[in-house]
Amino acid sequence: MTGKILGAVAAGVALGFFLLPGWVLDYTDLIIDIGLMLLLFFVGIDIGMNRSVFGRIRNMGLKIILLPFMIIVGSILGAALAGALLGMPFNESGAVGAGLGWYTLSSILMANYSNELSTLAFIANVVREMMAFIIIPLVAKKIGFLGAIAPAGATAMDTGLPIISRATDSETAILAFITGAICTFSVPIIVPLILNL
Amino acid sequence: MGFRLMMYLAVILLGALIGARVKIGEKLSGRLGSIQTACLLLLLMVMGIKIGMDSEVISSFFSIGYSALVISVFTVGFSILGVKLVSGYVTGGRK
Repeated sequence: MTGKILGAVAAGVALGFFLLPGWVLDYTDLIIDIGLMLLLFFVGIDIGMNRSVFGRIRNMGLKIILLPFMIIVGSILGAALAGALLGMPFNESGAVGAGLGWYTLSSILMANYSNELSTLAFIANVVREMMAFIIIPLVAKKIGFLGAIAPAGATAMDTGLPIISRATDSETAILAFITGAICTFSVPIIVPLILNL
Repeated sequence: MGFRLMMYLAVILLGALIGARVKIGEKLSGRLGSIQTACLLLLLMVMGIKIGMDSEVISSFFSIGYSALVISVFTVGFSILGVKLVSGYVTGGRK
């Protein structure tokens, strides 16, 4: 699956960069929205066919919140460590990591602070999203189903969800949606918070 | 974002309702899996097209791509590690 995903993304980038005319860009968002809705509908069907997952998730209770919490902490710490290697201040690299893959919002939140950092946040989070798509099946197989939610971060509730659902099971898909939603709502709070440290 | 979240939730719930009520045979279920994979790869290709056509993203990637890549690798790696640390506790020891 990882090879197919990598091939699809690479083919798309190459087509967009070398071949397709500019007007195609006017329709990409619409196609992505329709495709995403269709895939989320399929994720729903999978969940509906495995109703027993709800009982298991209810048994986990509030422990579920640990998943987005650890993703947020891991993302900020990881970015801060990478920043230290690159000679960046903690607050700047940490804020880039706190974008959790939501590249549009994280770059907007940093635009008033610095244009350069805003661009870095955008690119780093685009790369995170693409990297997530590619490694989710691999992480699910080698590390575990819950670990497969982590690379997606905030995108675990939308673009990352169909891949997580295909690579894992219905139970993990529900946990991914909840985790992605919490991460998404956290981004506008934690990015300015870390940036102003 | 709240509206989008509700929309995603509504679509998933609609699918779950259909999945729970309609009896889907093994053959159809397998076919649904193939359709799902095909849609997923198409969606990823369109997302790739969007990135490939965005000249600002491509030119920025060539200038700050190294820093972005290092930050992304560490971000992803540490978030996987974080989840791995608590996954046994969250699932009560199951996979």
